[in-house]
Amino acid sequence: MDALNFVFPNDLHVHWSMMIVLYPYLTGLVDGSFIVAALYYVFGVKSLKPISRFSLVFAFAFLSCAMFPLLMHLGRPERNHNMMITPSPTSAMSGAGFIFTVAIILIGLILLLVYRPTFVKLRLKSKGIMNILYRVLTMDSTNLSPESLELDRKIIKFLVAIGIPVATVLHGYVGFLFGGVKANPSWSTPLMPVIFLFSACVSGISALVLAYIVIKKLRNQPVDLGCVRTCINILAGFFILAFSFEMLEVFSHSYLRTWYHHAVEGLLNGPLFYSFWVWQVGICSVLPLLLLGWLCLFKMKASVFKFFAATVSIILLLQVLLMRWNVVIGGQLMSKSTRGYTQFHPEWFDKEGIITVIVLMSLPFIVLFMLSKIFPLWLEEEKASS
Amino acid sequence: MKSSYNSHIKRIVLGLLIFAVVGFVAKMVLTPKSFGKYGPYRADAIDEEANQEIRHMTNASCLSCHPYEANIHLTGLHKTISCEFCHGPYADHVKAGKVYGKLPVKKKEEIKVLCLRCHNKAIQARPGEVIKTVIMPEHLEEQKVKVSHTCDQCHHVHAPLKYINRAKKIVGIKEKS
Repeated sequence: MDALNFVFPNDLHVHWSMMIVLYPYLTGLVDGSFIVAALYYVFGVKSLKPISRFSLVFAFAFLSCAMFPLLMHLGRPERNHNMMITPSPTSAMSGAGFIFTVAIILIGLILLLVYRPTFVKLRLKSKGIMNILYRVLTMDSTNLSPESLELDRKIIKFLVAIGIPVATVLHGYVGFLFGGVKANPSWSTPLMPVIFLFSACVSGISALVLAYIVIKKLRNQPVDLGCVRTCINILAGFFILAFSFEMLEVFSHSYLRTWYHHAVEGLLNGPLFYSFWVWQVGICSVLPLLLLGWLCLFKMKASVFKFFAATVSIILLLQVLLMRWNVVIGGQLMSKSTRGYTQFHPEWFDKEGIITVIVLMSLPFIVLFMLSKIFPLWLEEEKASS
Repeated sequence: MKSSYNSHIKRIVLGLLIFAVVGFVAKMVLTPKSFGKYGPYRADAIDEEANQEIRHMTNASCLSCHPYEANIHLTGLHKTISCEFCHGPYADHVKAGKVYGKLPVKKKEEIKVLCLRCHNKAIQARPGEVIKTVIMPEHLEEQKVKVSHTCDQCHHVHAPLKYINRAKKIVGIKEKS
């Protein structure tokens, strides 16, 4: 399919390409996994204990790489962390620096306090560089008295509680940036931050469930079914909200027949018909909605539950990626002429091509692997080793 | 080091304070002097940019020395096209009022590539009534000329229809209205 009808020459090329799809996807994963941590540490959902620490390390690993795609898009990926040290209140874009800096410091502090008892034990066992590292990470304090642990617990609860609005703003802000583009009728809606936020929760929880089941399967360790069940219930709740808002946005657009509605309608039913209606809505939303309903409401064998929990997580991860794709790239397929649509061809060996996407998506996993050498991810490992 | 029940918290807070102070001092030292004079950018950058050597000029500058080309260019369909678009920047040719270097002349296949930058039908963005687009070598086959022909063998590059209109006049072909 070629460009349709009349497209302005400067609209022919899609400028915000796959890197800008990846950016909200990565921050979304951070948000969702932080929500799981918050549910355990602040709201006391005890069944989430097995993945409570993992969710924090996961969030930290993904947050440290979340800005790579943005800076890669700008052509300076080595400035990834500059964004955190050069925030500015006078720019909607660099204002994010404040939120990112606060978020990464907050998650870092929470990790230090959550892992302190573990680090103290590891410090006594380790030698050489690792010993120095654990001394630094424990602030050279081996005090594990009940009084000290109680103080830690209170501070962790307080920090995670602050973390909830920070995480919410972190991702709501990404939605706000799209919603703030007045010139694009498919983006410019106050619902954008809400939609981004809920889908972020969906992707983060799905990623945690999938990672938990896959890692445990690979290591031949038992999966805590109660924990996965709780996650699936929460996931169902967030997904119902996310999907409802996504649909409400489309329906309110089409009911109100707002400004340039014909262009948005033509976009969804034309160039985006397969990626939006068939894939995002049909295969990746209605299907997992039915599956989630079945998983939450009916009793089944543990192996069947685990298999379908992992399957639903994969489909939902794809759903959120498709949603980002349809918003970011889909929104740019409309020409400002509102009389034509361009098209997007992903390339393999482009600066922002498919190979780059694969490399960038593997970065947080490499960081996670390296962090797992310092932060023992699972509680059982710690018990077994002590 | 001996530690009380809250000494790690004290050390974390101290670490954060040191981080903030070092960060603040570094920001003070590293921020360029003229930053923030007019807004959140380096004020000196304005002068630096304004003092950049000018590389591009208008058609009037070029045509003042090239009256023969001016005569053809200003009467043809390409009259609104900038000279520099095909020939390159003015600064590579003239410096301080004197001829400084030769601009590259496009020939043969290069001409074809240059023309198709705008006249390629694959570029869907331009409506037909604004700019004539063709598919190569279909256009050459339709015109019954060799496919090895370059564009400038029929079209004058400055006034594309100059020779074609003259040929039509001689042969007596009238345009379909």
